[in-house]
Amino acid sequence: MATSSPSVFLLAVNGQIEGANFPEYDNLYCKYCYVYGHDWAPTTGLEEGITQITCKSSHSHRLIWNFPLETTFKSTNPYGWPQLVVSVYGPDVFGNDVVRGYGATHIPFTPGLQTRTIPMFVPEPTWRLQKFTSWLLGRRPEYTDPKVVAQGEGREVTRVRSQGFVTVSFNIMTKDMKKIGYDTGPPVPSNTQSATPDR
Amino acid sequence: MAELHIIGQIIGASGFPQNSLFCRWGVHTGGAWRLLSGLKEGQTQVDIPQIGEMAYWSHPIDLHYGTKGLQGWPKIHLQVWHHDSFGRCQLYGYGYCHVPSSPGHHRISCETWRPLGSWQEQLAQTFVGGGPQLRNPDLIYSGADRYRLHTEAMGTVELELGVIMKNFDKYGVEN
Repeated sequence: MATSSPSVFLLAVNGQIEGANFPEYDNLYCKYCYVYGHDWAPTTGLEEGITQITCKSSHSHRLIWNFPLETTFKSTNPYGWPQLVVSVYGPDVFGNDVVRGYGATHIPFTPGLQTRTIPMFVPEPTWRLQKFTSWLLGRRPEYTDPKVVAQGEGREVTRVRSQGFVTVSFNIMTKDMKKIGYDTGPPVPSNTQSATPDR
Repeated sequence: MAELHIIGQIIGASGFPQNSLFCRWGVHTGGAWRLLSGLKEGQTQVDIPQIGEMAYWSHPIDLHYGTKGLQGWPKIHLQVWHHDSFGRCQLYGYGYCHVPSSPGHHRISCETWRPLGSWQEQLAQTFVGGGPQLRNPDLIYSGADRYRLHTEAMGTVELELGVIMKNFDKYGVEN
């Protein structure tokens, strides 16, 4: 029986949420989830998760999670390529859990080790009184669904404040993309740094 | 028909006089190109950076084009605006760049420029803001009639664009 050309390709994601750089905040944990288009479906692995709570040590200002990401997706179409959405939470002065940043990045599509530094931002209240009451009550503006961070529509009227970075590293493998006819370019030379370096 | 996927994001901008910035972007193509999925224009959020001076938008771009010809290769055009605390918007720069023509990940720095008015307009601009804007935004990515403009350099917009191509080799295109 002759093998027919495949119509479905696979994307295997092996990576980790390495850590974060938030100069003003400590004792943070991170929630992640994947956002993808209608043609995509996860086949194995977890779609979302929560890391441990980490704090800065006396000799380093970095926050380290070293949290594993292992998921495989299948699709017929690169449109809607999966994005990793990351949200970081931490305690405020009064002990309430507040959001410290949202961010998203596309999963790379070339095989090899790639690092992404994701800038994290929070929605910003417009009025000074609102800023004060939200600080007092521990209720910062939050997104009802963090997945909106992965979309481009509806951002026109939001004001945000970027206040940190999360570093994620990915090892990507794809299967059958070339057989279907997609050219994703040369594999990445070892240890490519992307986005801005940590500050 | 050959297909092109543009998957990436507008990372942010730096080098502008003030920080509270947003960006209006769009993708322009020739007549042979057809947008199959995705939004080809949009506006980012307004970012007020807390650390450093670079404003970060992380605005996702996911476009799927089908084409029958190489002419009119997609171009991304950008307008960077400043949103101040009173809610007024002021133009800070225009810029454009071609979508890379080889598959893979690309990091692009797009330089921007702003039209310069007469010395009276520049003086007024330092005090109350504002300034001349292009009447026809097509001039951002076309070369016709540019010789009439006098402009000044503004900051840089960083983009990360990934390109996936399909069937281009079947039509004989080498890359």
